[in-house]
Amino acid sequence: MSIPTTAPTAPEGSRESRADRRRRGTDSRTRGDRRFTLALVAPAVLVVAALFAYPIGYAVWLSTHQWNDKISPRHPYIGVRNYTTLFESGEFWDAMGRTAFFSVITVIGGVALALGLAILLNQDFKGRTLARVLLLVPWAVPPVVNGIMWRLIFDGDNGIANTILRNLGIIDENVQWLADPDTAMNVLIFAEMWKLLPFLTLLLMASLQNIPRNLYRAAGVDGANAWKRFLHITLPGVKGALMFALIVQSMWSIKVFDTIYVLTGGSGGPAGGTTTINFLGYLTTFSNLDRGYGAAIAVVIMVLVILTTLFWILLLGRPAGGPSRWRRKPGATADVTPSLKEPGRDELAQPAGVAGESQ
Amino acid sequence: MTEPQTEPQTEPKTLPRPTGATPSTTRAPRGLSWKARRRGFTVLHRFLLVVAMIFFVAPFLWMLLYSLLPAELLQRRDPDLDLTRITFSEYGDLLTDSSFLKPMGTSALVALLTTLICLALGSFAAYGIARFRFRGRQPLLLAMMATQAIPVIVLAVPLFIIIRGMGLFDTPWALVIVYTATILPLVIWMMVGFFEAIPASLEKAARIDGCNRWQMLLRIAFPLAATGLAATGIFAFITAWSDFFLAKILTASGSTTLPVRTASFQGLFAMDYTAAATAGVITSLPVLVLTLAAQKWIVRGLTEGAVKG
Repeated sequence: MSIPTTAPTAPEGSRESRADRRRRGTDSRTRGDRRFTLALVAPAVLVVAALFAYPIGYAVWLSTHQWNDKISPRHPYIGVRNYTTLFESGEFWDAMGRTAFFSVITVIGGVALALGLAILLNQDFKGRTLARVLLLVPWAVPPVVNGIMWRLIFDGDNGIANTILRNLGIIDENVQWLADPDTAMNVLIFAEMWKLLPFLTLLLMASLQNIPRNLYRAAGVDGANAWKRFLHITLPGVKGALMFALIVQSMWSIKVFDTIYVLTGGSGGPAGGTTTINFLGYLTTFSNLDRGYGAAIAVVIMVLVILTTLFWILLLGRPAGGPSRWRRKPGATADVTPSLKEPGRDELAQPAGVAGESQ
Repeated sequence: MTEPQTEPQTEPKTLPRPTGATPSTTRAPRGLSWKARRRGFTVLHRFLLVVAMIFFVAPFLWMLLYSLLPAELLQRRDPDLDLTRITFSEYGDLLTDSSFLKPMGTSALVALLTTLICLALGSFAAYGIARFRFRGRQPLLLAMMATQAIPVIVLAVPLFIIIRGMGLFDTPWALVIVYTATILPLVIWMMVGFFEAIPASLEKAARIDGCNRWQMLLRIAFPLAATGLAATGIFAFITAWSDFFLAKILTASGSTTLPVRTASFQGLFAMDYTAAATAGVITSLPVLVLTLAAQKWIVRGLTEGAVKG
């Protein structure tokens, strides 16, 4: 409780003059400050840079070599041949298809469900704090344990899922969930959803809490129904958080690994049914020991993640997560809460806009 | 600075309060009376809420039950939940098994060391980024976030080769090094948010009173950010403790970690369910306890960056 959360008292804006900043002691242009800042930041940056830049470069270099110790101890340079082999292999496109299927459902479905849950939890009810604590359980459970948990539940012979569904009359006989490629993929999606929903929900909830309540009240006065209020107040209010959620979830979905490993006993099966692109990279590198080819897959995954991120940014605009940090100075009030500064004016001005749209 | 974690005086958005002159009471109800519709909403809301909470908690409780009941009660077509037969024998077996205790120790050591190094390096860097405007500050923050876009598998093979070359394969140090690299950007990211929430005026006052820069940092800023440091540390610990992929690749039997050991209870076809469930509970317990203890601050640290825009 010791962190004061009040905004810095000094006005902060990008147009703030150098003299202002020096007066507040946050200008790094004096020599001492610059040296101090460098001493603070450099060690961490060097560690991260060394352990990211070098391996990435190494991976790209590896991907242009034939490097399979099972076949030959020599590692000749083969140009882009690993990539051409990859793009011609059916295995690769199958894995890409599975990754796309898995990602589209977990990203779009996950974010949509999380928004619903966030709205649900953002209401006034007894036990709200308890609900939020319980929500953290899936977030905290390690991914490996997540896999074990769902394997217990979806076991084909004595899993509780079969028992429940049989008693509800939905299925007549036990289903071997993890023995069929299609149902195995669905179990995987189900398990991942359980794990990813809490974080997305908390993210969107935090954003919902920034929307001034009086906007809703005012919209009510003007006769906007629940759907219109959702469309014109809630959605614009959480747009930034939604974008952030879509981007991080896309990254995580493409990179899914642990749950697949545990659910399928390390095989990506049945019949490769849960072998997403990331898992294919793992199998190639660490089971087939084909390091050059595996590196090519890894590089493709990296490009895929970057392209996906760019796709969201181009589609929806600049992400709010983080980037608000370098767009806004600390302590600046968010776009969605202009009313916090001038509540009086806002109550009159904002609802008029909402009402105008809803008429 | 927004504070998502304070309990705001929430006013329901879709359910206006019955007391007071709420606007909706003036609206003509369609078909049903306003009161009845409101009650309907409330019932639906509570129902969905209960369903959601069961969904989130029940799977874990089921695993807990699995670890406590004898296998023959559960591994049948219709499980028999005879709670009088609860036994801790599986816990006793695992917690006296050195092939399980050793990974536990390794995990604890690796996660603790990683947390300490990340906090030491990360909090200084975060303070510098939060307090000073310097050229390259914004690209630096962007780069910290961009590291999260790099799939670990890209790093895996090179790291594997490098670590083996350094003779660190299958040692806890290998894990400490790679975890530090992958977790540090997130630690910096979270800590920048916590430092930005502290008014700079306090440090300015300290400077005027004659503190030098380092004293200002260590005596004023760090104590004020203590809760944030704790929450970030817990986050780092959880991330390092839970990792499976890197531990799987960079260790063999010598210094395997708890998640890898836990995963090994399940083979391709067969699985020792009771042991796996018990190991699962043991693996989850430390992180669950830490998360629930620090939930308020962890949530704030995780969500802060995203809700400001």
